[in-house]
Amino acid sequence: MSQWERVQTNAQDRERIWSVPRTFAGDVWFRFRKKPTALAGFLIVVFLLCFAVFGPYLSPYGYSDQSRALANIPPILSVSDAPDGNYLYVTPALKVILIGRDGKLLGQLSKGKDDETLRRIAYTLDAQTEVYLDYSQKPAMILSAEGERTPASKQVWNTTYLLGTDQLGRDILTRLMYGARISLMVAFVAATINMVIGILYGGIAGFVGGRADAVMMRVVDIISTIPLTLYVILIKVTLDNGLLSIIIALSSVYWVDMARVVRGQVLSLKQQEFVLASRAIGSSNRTIMLTHLIPNAMGPILVTVTMLIPSAIFVEAFMSFIGIGIAPPMASLGTMCNDAMEALRSNPYQLFLPALVICLIMFAFNFVGDGLRDALDPKLKK
Amino acid sequence: MSERPLLRVTNLTKHFPVRGGGRRVVHAVDDVTFHIDRGTTFGLVGESGCGKSSCARTIIRIYDPTSGSVELDGQEIAACPARELMPMRRRMQMIFQDPYASLNARMTVRDIIAEPLNAHFAALSRAQADEMIFAMLEKVGLTREHANRYAHEFSGGQRQRVGIARALILRPDLVICDEPISALDVSIQAQIVNMLRDFQQELGLTYLFIAHDLSMVRYVSDHVGVMYLGQLVEMCAADEIYSHPLHPYTQGLLQSIPIPDPRLARLKTASGLEGDLPSPIDPPAGCRFHTRCPYAMAVCALEQPPLCEAAPGHCVACHLHTPRNCDAKSVSIE
Ligand SMILES: Nc1ncnc2c1ncn2[C@@H]1O[C@H](COP(=O)(O)OP(=O)(O)OP(=O)(O)O)[C@@H](O)[C@H]1O
Ligand SMILES: [Mg+2]
Repeated sequence: MSQWERVQTNAQDRERIWSVPRTFAGDVWFRFRKKPTALAGFLIVVFLLCFAVFGPYLSPYGYSDQSRALANIPPILSVSDAPDGNYLYVTPALKVILIGRDGKLLGQLSKGKDDETLRRIAYTLDAQTEVYLDYSQKPAMILSAEGERTPASKQVWNTTYLLGTDQLGRDILTRLMYGARISLMVAFVAATINMVIGILYGGIAGFVGGRADAVMMRVVDIISTIPLTLYVILIKVTLDNGLLSIIIALSSVYWVDMARVVRGQVLSLKQQEFVLASRAIGSSNRTIMLTHLIPNAMGPILVTVTMLIPSAIFVEAFMSFIGIGIAPPMASLGTMCNDAMEALRSNPYQLFLPALVICLIMFAFNFVGDGLRDALDPKLKK
Repeated sequence: MSERPLLRVTNLTKHFPVRGGGRRVVHAVDDVTFHIDRGTTFGLVGESGCGKSSCARTIIRIYDPTSGSVELDGQEIAACPARELMPMRRRMQMIFQDPYASLNARMTVRDIIAEPLNAHFAALSRAQADEMIFAMLEKVGLTREHANRYAHEFSGGQRQRVGIARALILRPDLVICDEPISALDVSIQAQIVNMLRDFQQELGLTYLFIAHDLSMVRYVSDHVGVMYLGQLVEMCAADEIYSHPLHPYTQGLLQSIPIPDPRLARLKTASGLEGDLPSPIDPPAGCRFHTRCPYAMAVCALEQPPLCEAAPGHCVACHLHTPRNCDAKSVSIE
């Protein structure tokens, strides 16, 4: 007996398309989210955006609020017990800070007599009690009631300044939020401007072709023979410090990559039959450019943009780091790194945290760019 | 000559500059002359790379011709400035070879078919356009449900029908079919060819039908032109070219048609065409085919044979068949 039975088909079934209709963007998203690194990168970008945009509104501190007394407090404190049940934290500068049991900073103890021979300092805890800080040996330690050095045995999380304070006593978490905000703002504005200039320049060069193309591309070649960062520094030196001038500096040279990509795309696309068909129809150059060439070049354009964002962020951080970027007291990840350099030994967290955020942003955008490139590649279509 | 032909191509030449090659050029189309009467089909055949597509694209002014003239219904288009071409573009359309590359993957079928309407009838409302598009879709055997789909969701045959709908929505007089079936399955080929024939009858279309082998052309064409390295080498009625091929190249092409019966195939003596197509950048002097021709004579390498009428209504450019009183200028098939 036959296992197979003939299925009756009619003309309508033959012409039917059985797949669910999916737009191009839907298709790309479908493939994008299949890739774990891309999705992780995307989620980190979303998280960082929220962090940078909404964070400052939730923070009780401003980016320039300082409390000199509570400078250089790390996020995780090694503390020893105080007689009244709270904790005591000794700073590298031999100040003693009273910490609540919940990790709140209650204030700096006032300094009493400094006994130079015994090498101990008295600090007033309250009217009756004094504690002694012994600095005869490193590290300095609080002396117990019996006069023994008690090592800082407990670790508590700093709940007043979750990520600690910098050397001026400013909240690092808040400054990271503002820093990320500047980074992302620079990145998005520079990326948008570069995209527009790059598409226009590269699109015109590729579309017109011939001699105009040759001249326009020589200009691009000349610009890109010198490292772009060098141009940005040179341009930046002649402008004031500040956000706007960084964006101007970044936008004036980074479009060359975009222009190259767009030109290459347009050159190959305009030989494709659907563009020839559009010419045979008699569509205007504008229509050909806007409905055929640019939408079909959008994949490589998007990938180039997401790859351009991390380099823009890095250049901004780098310029702020060497002191020609964002003007103080505004926080930028680069200036925060720079500030941390002075006391790197004693307060490594001040460098580590902004550097971590820079890495996170750059990783996230690189992963997103990578994922987009794969998702936009129609050959991988499943 | 009873009636003016719809399309008259005279001495059409298209040279492409060679990139980085100084003054050297690709002789894609060289001195091609033919005409097509209204309502008939002219088949243009030749090996891959002999300039068929270039010829078609130059006629329809995707490329600007190097020299020569193209008249559509008596109006010159080869020398017409681009902005005055619009009314003529409406009267001629093209169907392309590759159903995958000829439709924009970022557009829905509706927008693809609407593009000619938008370009030529700016005043048309969206509802009116939709009505025309749906009617056209039904004519090519698709339904209005297909209108909002993207081209990449369709099969090759369906895409090619979308291409046909795009070409026919403006109701053109002349349709240039550039190998419309060579990228399709054999079973779909017949479907598309029959559809094109039905449209020809219904709308009185005139076709320039391009193919690279002679088998399908015989079935659709009234007249056939054979192209070699940018030049027309033989031209006559479709049946004649099968019964009495004169040019050695045409004979070679006919022999390279696959024969379904293996016993017959074994009987075949000559094995079709030998050798490769010479470079169109510097084509051979004299007769361009002499490097591959089994009957080549001394004169073939020296002198280019003119296209002459060797038999009534049968033109050929070959020294074997050049009549003594040939005048190349008077060539025509009636
Ligand atoms: N835009 C162009 N620029 C430069 N050379 C071209 C261009 N288009 C075609 N050619 C050259 O012209 C010659 C003829 O090409 P054409 O595409 O017209 O051949 P064809 O007969 O249509 O071949 P096929 O059967 O493969 O489609 C080829 O040598 C090709 O390299
Ligand atoms: Mg071709």
